Amino acid sequence: MIQYREFTKVFGIHRAVDALTVEVPAGAVVALLGPNGSGKTTTIKAAAGLVRPTSGEVRLGAEGRPAGDAVARRLCSFLPQRVSFPDALTGREVVNFYRRLRGLPGEATDRVMRFASLNGAGNRAVGTYSGGMTQRLGLAVAMLPDAEILLLDEPTAALDPDGLSTFDALIRSRRQAGQTVFFSSHQLGDVERLADLIVILVEGRLAATLTAGELAARLADRGVMRLRLAHAEASVLARVQAIAPQAVWAGDDLLVPGPAAARLGALDAVRAAGGVVEGLSAEEGRLDEFYRSIVGGAT
Amino acid sequence: MAALWLCARHELLLAVRSRWLQWFAAVFAGLALLVASSGYILSGGHGLQDFARTAVSLVQLVLLIVPLAALVFGALTLSPDRGAAEILYAQPVPREVILAGRVFGLFLALGAAQLLGFGVAGLAVQWSAGPYGASQFLVVVALSLALTAVFVTVAAALASGEPGRRARTLGLALVVWFVAVILFDLAALGVASLLKSGAASRLLITAALVNPVDAGRTAAYLAIEGTAAFGGASLALLRFTGGGASAGAMIAASFLVWVAVPAWIAARRLGRADL
Repeated sequence: MIQYREFTKVFGIHRAVDALTVEVPAGAVVALLGPNGSGKTTTIKAAAGLVRPTSGEVRLGAEGRPAGDAVARRLCSFLPQRVSFPDALTGREVVNFYRRLRGLPGEATDRVMRFASLNGAGNRAVGTYSGGMTQRLGLAVAMLPDAEILLLDEPTAALDPDGLSTFDALIRSRRQAGQTVFFSSHQLGDVERLADLIVILVEGRLAATLTAGELAARLADRGVMRLRLAHAEASVLARVQAIAPQAVWAGDDLLVPGPAAARLGALDAVRAAGGVVEGLSAEEGRLDEFYRSIVGGAT
Repeated sequence: MAALWLCARHELLLAVRSRWLQWFAAVFAGLALLVASSGYILSGGHGLQDFARTAVSLVQLVLLIVPLAALVFGALTLSPDRGAAEILYAQPVPREVILAGRVFGLFLALGAAQLLGFGVAGLAVQWSAGPYGASQFLVVVALSLALTAVFVTVAAALASGEPGRRARTLGLALVVWFVAVILFDLAALGVASLLKSGAASRLLITAALVNPVDAGRTAAYLAIEGTAAFGGASLALLRFTGGGASAGAMIAASFLVWVAVPAWIAARRLGRADL
């Protein structure tokens, strides 16, 4: 469990996080979403004990240890957003160093090297790694301890599809083990696949706390259905606008924005007006628009 | 303690694989050899000097090069790189322990490079001129290691803090070197020349203790050839302390303070930093 109570962090004159009060429940996979500069990294780093609160507090575990406490740091494992390791070391040497620092047995190195699919590159210098491989190595280091809490700051940003599969497997295994995962991401796919709960930060403030299903529904409500019709006829638009007032023509395409539930009715209205549908696609609402709507209070 | 030693070994391994350190070791060995032979060359002779003359000649090289190497390597190595610092300092080990291990590892690496240089020069001198004055040569080795310890911790104090300021730290390190090695003596002598005798003596005594480079020079000459090679500040210190033993003790205390205070500042800055 991670508890943020009125957590505020100010850097100079910039208020990165403002009075954040939220709880990441034990055993849950929680995603932290928000636009760039919304305070996600600061929030996660505060839980890792790297950033000290200007005011408020961040506590970890059932006993509610302050995040900066050495015992609290033993409860968690952290992967930074842009992890880097010394170029002169091999991947295996890096993992071995962190394993020894945690006082873990030697087999832990082999386990995480296998899991991170770095076996082939484990004896190569980190300086020869691609960004994705460095990220995998970071994941390997983060999963060395069987920590109660896993903190991951944009862990999938540099991963290829194989790396994403590895990441998914890691999260699922941690969830099965009853451990807590708190990760930030800009990838809606990651969030939908993995998160039980989504915390949204905008401009350093808690904007919303949603389940994955609630977020998907809200994005769908901000989606657009695009109908390609044989002919653009005014009567068709009038019938559809009775159901979806914001519907407009875009060439021969009829764009029908609005809730997903209204789309079937709009389609029926097109057919009833004699429209011939030649193609159909639907786009979900975009996250950036969703954030803006939250800031504007239109949730 | 295990974590400290682990971090020290890690830093030592990184330093040993660093081309910069390999270059430093090679250049230091070359310069030490050059110094060992230059005394005779300058006086029209040939071959290598004995240990005693080599030790005197090496003092200036050590006072010039060793602080520079310790400050530059320290600034480059100990300035936290954001991605690396975040994952390192998120481990369940106190930041101060990690820092102490890294500083110790860097000290070992620089010390090993210097020992290699001294070793090459020492072997050549031993082979050419015999063991006469070897103890004085060892004094210079000890001085070199002491200055390394001082300036690596000074570099740690400059480097510890917010990540991503390596260039700024390097600039500061060069300023510290310039002040300690070049400017300080000139300023102290200049100001002393404007003062009355008593005040000037007190200033020079303070200067000889406050600046580790001056303290090192005084200690080295005191151990190698007595007061004959002393400048004004060193002589004033010797008169004030009443003898070589107490002067040596004060200089040793000065070195200890110069290691302890920057180490405390480094630990405090790192402990308070947002990484």
